Amino acid sequence: MFSSSQFEPNSAFSGGGFMSSQAYESSSSTAKNREFQGLVPVTVKQITECFQSGGEKSGLVINGISLTNVSLVGLVCDKDDSKVTEVRFTLDDGTGRIDCKRWVNETFDAREMESVRDGTYVRLNGHLKTFQGKTQLLVFSVRPIMDFNEVTFHYIECIHFYSQNSESKGQQAGDVTQSVNTTFQGGSNTNQAVPLNPVVSSQNDGNGRKNLDDMILDYLKQPACTARQQGIHIDEIAQQLKIPKNKLEGVIQSLEGDGLIYSTIDEYHFKHVEL
Amino acid sequence: MDTTSPAVFVNGALLRRYIGQKVRAVIQVIRSEIGSVVGKSTDDQQIVVKGSPQPPLTSYLEVIGIAESDNTIRAEVWTNFGDSFDAQNYNELCKLANGEFRHLFI
Repeated sequence: MFSSSQFEPNSAFSGGGFMSSQAYESSSSTAKNREFQGLVPVTVKQITECFQSGGEKSGLVINGISLTNVSLVGLVCDKDDSKVTEVRFTLDDGTGRIDCKRWVNETFDAREMESVRDGTYVRLNGHLKTFQGKTQLLVFSVRPIMDFNEVTFHYIECIHFYSQNSESKGQQAGDVTQSVNTTFQGGSNTNQAVPLNPVVSSQNDGNGRKNLDDMILDYLKQPACTARQQGIHIDEIAQQLKIPKNKLEGVIQSLEGDGLIYSTIDEYHFKHVEL
Repeated sequence: MDTTSPAVFVNGALLRRYIGQKVRAVIQVIRSEIGSVVGKSTDDQQIVVKGSPQPPLTSYLEVIGIAESDNTIRAEVWTNFGDSFDAQNYNELCKLANGEFRHLFI
């Protein structure tokens, strides 16, 4: 999903100059920072807020992720379809208003826009653009909402996306980014220094939440464990920490990739790396 | 909508915090009278919504308007939210939108 060819030139520059300081906070998420092609659910407030802090040149950055494509839910207002090829309207999602534009080139697009009236709740997917200081949404998909649980869902998704990204600024919680981390490790040596950053920031993570990595490391650091030559079996770790083994496996792999633990007599026994 | 100010997600309990301000709430219609609709908020409190919505009304209505008292809203916008709506979900959203994640909304 994240092509490494896109990645390497940036790391060769050490992320300096081109990318903002967010590059240092998270190495494997720089792939995410650069071009997050996914669709991010946001509220209009999030858009207007981040634009004010970022400025046009940096592009729109929300929670350290450079966004282009967003998904919104709200009420359509001021629909203006006087022009044949273009439909403009304002979307009001209760947190703010944003101008939207939809190019209508095919009959499919025209039909889609016909069902959208003032006062209709719609789900919009579009591309954020700033033009002459104003943020605009170039919409590529509009769908009227049929089941209004979607409205509730959208806002909850915004909250979820936001909290997922702000609590894991340096250390990624998601499996996708963990796998990016490990494949990246296999890359060129110039990248060696960079991956250590997420490790450092996660250890310094002051929010008090004991994440899985810390729990495993703490367990393995105990003198009783370090004394054991053959290391600790993953089953024992699962038993002692009372965490299912499948949850541990991914985390152990990334800890191993980061050089914090190593496997001993076989691939199921691990010991903490003593520096 | 004539006002551009953001509308806070409220349920019955949160309504009193925003008297005089623009709020949005989903209510389950109990009965509709002339000039107002009596409904139940997502946390089971009785709310009176002043205004005349366009019939037909579905079981759930979203109203956006100004909070007049701790159990009255003067609605400006009415939206039919259908007959199957998860009020509990919405209630939890109200709590989150007024709590930890306020800054995403207001």
